[in-house]
Parts: sequence; C-alpha cells; structure tokens
Amino acid sequence: MSNAWKLMKIMVKMQLSWAGKSSSEKVGYVIMAFALIPFGALILFSLNNLIGSLYDALAPTGNESVILALFFILMFVIFFVTSIGTVLSSFYFAEDVESFVALPFHPYQIVLGKSAVPFLSLYGLNALLLLPVLLFYGLHSSAGLLYYLFAILLWAVTPVIPFVLLSIVLMFLMRFANISKNKDRTKIIVGMFGFIFAIGINVVIRLDSGGGGSGAADLIREQNGLLELVTGFFPTAYFSSIALTQPASLTGVLYLLLMLGLSIGFAILFLTVGQKVYFKGVLGLSGGTRSRFDERKIHKTIKQKPLIYSLWLKEMRIIFRTPAFFTQIVVQSLFFPVFLLVILFMESNTSVASLGSLLTQLEGKKLVLGLFGFTLLAVGMTPASFSSISRDGKSWFNHLHLPIAPQTVLRSKIITAFTLNLLTIAILSFAALFLLQVSFKIWTLWLLLALVTNWVTSIGGLIIDLYSPKLDWTDEREVFKGRFIGLAMLAIEATVFGTLILILWNVSAISGIWVTTGVLLTFLIILIAACHAGLKRLSNKRYYSIH
Amino acid sequence: MIELKSISKSFTGKQAVKNLNLTVPDGKIFGFLGPNGAGKSTTIKMMTGILPIDEGSITINGVDITDYPMEAKHLFGYVPDRSDIFLRLKGIEYLNFIADVFQVSKEVRKEKIDYLTKSFGIYEALDDHIQTYSHGMRQKIVVSGVLLHDPDVWILDEPLSGLDPKSSHTLKEMMREHAERGKIVFFSTHVLEVVEQLCDEVAIINHGRVQFQGNMTEMKQQFQDDDNLERLFLELTENE
Repeated sequence: MSNAWKLMKIMVKMQLSWAGKSSSEKVGYVIMAFALIPFGALILFSLNNLIGSLYDALAPTGNESVILALFFILMFVIFFVTSIGTVLSSFYFAEDVESFVALPFHPYQIVLGKSAVPFLSLYGLNALLLLPVLLFYGLHSSAGLLYYLFAILLWAVTPVIPFVLLSIVLMFLMRFANISKNKDRTKIIVGMFGFIFAIGINVVIRLDSGGGGSGAADLIREQNGLLELVTGFFPTAYFSSIALTQPASLTGVLYLLLMLGLSIGFAILFLTVGQKVYFKGVLGLSGGTRSRFDERKIHKTIKQKPLIYSLWLKEMRIIFRTPAFFTQIVVQSLFFPVFLLVILFMESNTSVASLGSLLTQLEGKKLVLGLFGFTLLAVGMTPASFSSISRDGKSWFNHLHLPIAPQTVLRSKIITAFTLNLLTIAILSFAALFLLQVSFKIWTLWLLLALVTNWVTSIGGLIIDLYSPKLDWTDEREVFKGRFIGLAMLAIEATVFGTLILILWNVSAISGIWVTTGVLLTFLIILIAACHAGLKRLSNKRYYSIH
Repeated sequence: MIELKSISKSFTGKQAVKNLNLTVPDGKIFGFLGPNGAGKSTTIKMMTGILPIDEGSITINGVDITDYPMEAKHLFGYVPDRSDIFLRLKGIEYLNFIADVFQVSKEVRKEKIDYLTKSFGIYEALDDHIQTYSHGMRQKIVVSGVLLHDPDVWILDEPLSGLDPKSSHTLKEMMREHAERGKIVFFSTHVLEVVEQLCDEVAIINHGRVQFQGNMTEMKQQFQDDDNLERLFLELTENE
C-alpha cells in the first residue's frame, strides 16, 4: 500500500505543480480566482433561494427529502459525466502511462495513483455545489448537530460511487475497444460528448420553463411517480436523502451506515477490477495502425501546389486530426450556432420564429448595429486564431529554417481561422434564411458584416498569439488550458467594438441601413489595414525570436 | 563554401558562442564535434536562420543568411536533431509539403520520393501518419524531405542517431557521393567512430569557441601522443 501512496503523491505533485508555469500564468490564475468570487456568490444566492422555496412548498406535505434526493442525483450525473474525460486521459491517454507500467508496481497501485487527480478534482465541484446545498438545507429545515455530522460524512463519500462506476465501465470498454487503433477517434468522441451534453442540458432547462422554485415544486408534486422511478435508478441518492432527513432515527443511522459500507465496497471493487483489467487495456496503447499500402494512391497525391495552399492544408489537417484542437477549435466554435439552431427548432411556434419579419420593422441603424453585435457573438471568439502560433509547439522552428517568408506563414494562419469560421457563418445563414425567413437584403448585409468581422478577429487573434505564444507544451491541451488569451481577446473586442457600437448608437447624424453599414464597414476596413500593419511590425520583431 | 565570421550569441547573460570563426570548403564532409552544451546546436541554429546572430556574419555559398534569408535557405537542407515534428501528417503529405516549399516539380518529386524512400525502406509507410513511425523512420522521412530539392549544402544535426545499420550505411554513402560532386556536407555528431571513418575535415568546439579545425591527418599529426580520437577529444574538451 505504501507504494500506491507514493505513486499517488507523486502524480498529484506532478499535476498540481507550479513549476514551469510563467509568472503571467500565475497572475492569471489569481485574477481568475478573484473574478470567480461574484460568480460563486451568485450561485450560492440562487441555490439558497431555490432550496428555500422548494422547502417551503414541499415540507407541509412531508416531501422535503425529495429536494436532497434530487441534488444527490444531480451530483451523481455531474460526477459521472465530468469524470469521463479526466479518467480516460489520466488512465489511458497520458504520456506517462507506459513508463509506469514498466516499473514494478501492481496494476491496482498504478490505478490508484492514476485516479488521485481526477478523483480529487471532483471534490472541487463537490465543495462548490453539494456542500452549500447541504448547508442551506440544514439552515432551512433548522436541523440539529446530528444532521451536520451526517451531512459531512455523506458529502465526503458522494463522489466515490459514480467515480468507481464510471472507471469500471471505462476499464472494461478499454479492455475490449481497440484503443491503439482508435486513440484519436476516442478522444474526439469524448470531446463531442461533452459538447452534446452541454447542449442537452440547455435543452432540458429550456423545456422546464416554469421558472423558480415553486414551479419546480409543482413539477415534483405532479410527477411524483416519475421521481420515484428516477430515484429507483439512483438508490444511493435515496439512501443519502433518507439518512439526512431522519438522522435521529434508526432508519437514518442504518442508511448512513449502508452508504458508508457501499462506498467502501465500491472502493474495494475498484481496486479488484483495476488489478484484473487495467493492464489489458493499457498494453498496446502505443503504436498505431498501418494502412494498406496502395502505390497508385500515393502517386496520385504527388503534385505541386501553391505554397500558401500547401500551408493552409497542413494547418487544416493538423486541426482536424488532433483531438484537442478539433474539440477546442471546431466543436467549440460550432457550439453557438448549433445551440441557436436547437432553440429555433424548439421554439418554431413562438415569437422567435417571426423574428425574420420583426427585423424589417426595426429602425435601420438599430438593425445594423444589432446584427453586428450578433456577428461578434458568433465569430468574435475564434480559438483557431488565438492558437495560430501556439499550435505549432516545438515544430515552430521549421518555419524558420525553411525558405518561407514570415508573411506567407502568417497569412496561411489567418486564412485557416477565417475558413473555420465560415462553417459557423454557413449554419447561421441557413438558420436565417430558412428558419427565420429573414429577407434576402438583410441576410446579404449580415453576410458582408460577418465576413469582414471574421477577417478582423482572425488577424486580431493571431496578433495576440504572436505577441505571447505558448510553444513549450507536451500535450496539445496546454495550448488552451491555463492561458487567458481567450479572455484577453474578449476584453479587447468588448472595448473596441463596444465603444464603436455605443458611439454609432448615439450619434444622430448617422442613421438608416446603408449609412450605418457604410460607416461600420469603413471602420472595419481601416481596422483590418491597421491590424495588417501592426502584424507586419510585430512579426519583424517577434517572428524569429519566439522559441 | 560556408563561412562563419566572428559570430557570437548570448542567452540572458550567458554567452553560448564566442567570436567563432569557421570556414567549410566545398567538396568536403565536415564533422562538427563538441561535448554537450558546447555551443554546437546554437551555431547550427544560427547557420540555418533559426536563431538571430548577435554579432558577426554567416554566408552560405556567398549568400548572407541574415541579409538574404530566403535565398540562403534555398541553398541548404537541414535535418534538425529532433524528429518529432508534423506528427499528424502522413509521410507522403509531409514530403509533398516540403516539396511545395522548395517548388519541386511534380516529375522530379515523384522520382525523388520513390528513390529516397525506397533507399531508406520507408516507401510502404508513406500513407501512414508520422506519429505511428518509430524514431528511426521519423529520422528517415525528415532526411528524405531535406534531400528532395537536392540542396548544395547539407546541414545535418546528429543525422545518424536512431538509424538502423543499413540506412546508416545508405546515408553515409549519399553523404560521400554529395561531397564528391563538390558539394558540402556539414554534420554534428557525438559518435567518434563515424568522424574517423567519414570526415574529411573536423572542427571541435567547446565553451562556444573552436578548439581545433583541420583535416584528420593534421589532427593526428598534431596530437601524436594520442593514439586514438577518443583520447584526443577528451583532451581537447577537458574542462579547464
């Protein structure tokens, strides 16, 4: 066991170490922590309100245990889903997996070590969500000391069962799935799953548009049968909530003991399965598939292409083939348009559907500025642009010894970011023309604004990344993780475009569709020219000195 | 001819290369030796335009790398010491990309790709992602890429590391043929046997300065007491 303990300590240390993080990154984390305080306060405030109103509505009929059961179910689902990515990457995709396998450790010891960081990270969410819920419930129900003692114990064991269940499922899947063949594909599917889950949650929230705690309470009362059915699938939620609502009774104590016993049982099961199955999934992780060699196919691909096209093709291939880039760049940028499409489809009978005809009734200037603001939301945040340089990582130096002019490399990167955003623009165009029935004139206007804005943000992101790139990464995810470049871009855009919109809105001399569009486009084109000039100066200074 | 004239390079206070002078004549295989941290890689990076030069100048066949970088870079092919690059591309995609950079015509690239990859035994792996290649195969694909446009000057950083005996032999033969055609092969290595067997001329560098430059016979004459290259190397690079 001492070996497992040593492994856990070393893995936690490696993951959480500040070594190798730049001071700006550290400052970024501190700023982020402070920025999260009001956000956290808001969550706490609304949780408290929700629990209060649910309690007031359900306590008279003696149904208050349902509140806790619901939150335990919610936590179970959250823990289960968030662990998919972390467990997969820690157990199977991390670069160090094979070096641990070669050391004289039992499989269960390595599994235990590997699960330390993903498991501990669940406690972050646990502290943020479940802890306040238990506290607020205690306050609203004026619970005694025993409740809080039970609550702490149950809080501590809540992540165990979902984590173990998920890990076991994944270990069995990995045992039989041909991972060495589909490593990248698996990562992409996991990334997509997160995306679909987020969209799904939004859809569910939209479906339950009752609003507020009393609406939810009505729903609970009406659908009592459904709830019982749901807790039937999550017996642990049922045990925990009963233990907490009747802490002083024998039933309460028994359920608490049952939960603690189950958690220990699951932990033992986890180690047993780990010992038996883990290595079978890990061995053969490295190495890949060799496709069948076809000489004619190879000869077909040999042809001369213009350099800029060749560079662009290389960028696109790398983005689409690298799971971290694909999910962070392609999938994420599709989030907004797909989300919008889902809403439009769901609300096709309501006021949203008539938005198209409403648009034409708006005053010209407001319409154009509104469209511009919307465009910024859609194509303003382009991970493809602010990862342009960093994506190359340690391969960056290749641009330096090959005879390619810096401007050509940078231009190919701008075009790459621009192309990827075209997908978003295409989906939005489809929504506008076919779902919202927006007039052709307005669509053309928007398209023009969107294309020009796309160019601006593509260069803007590249400039920021060139100014402060992160090339020294070992895992592609580091290009996005712990960097505040996206936030920096958002802040700059909000300042520049926010001021512009505000000025145009208030200057009465500018009015009407065409004048406003003209002024806006002129400004954007000047901005593009300025950005290109700035990029040229920056690249003269930075291009050869970043490593 | 490659000429390095009084070049210096510092990194945050530490001088990696100090007033270094080196002339590499045409038609030679030139070995560049030195212990770890001696300044070999820094020098090679300055020669290839990866690192800006603090002081001094470097010319390749008379073209200054700082003043005319594009022209100079067309003259050489560079094999870096790391081969874990462009891993998500397929072998053939990588070669096509490099050929596009050097504007190699379709016919020439087809012939070259066939010849080089068959010589190195990686022809049948061309349609696989470089990520699935072994270290040696990655090295071979990079070397093939460099030789596609038939550069006058080859600059190779540890080119033989990871190659199997057959490929190593093939590459050494190619190096010899290239030099015999009056061109330059400049390469760095740690393997002294290779130097003895292959090089026409060597330079030994330590603490950012050239400690010795000359041909193998000169070197042996100058250090008659040392019966082998290893002892000579150790003596030259001994830390003062």
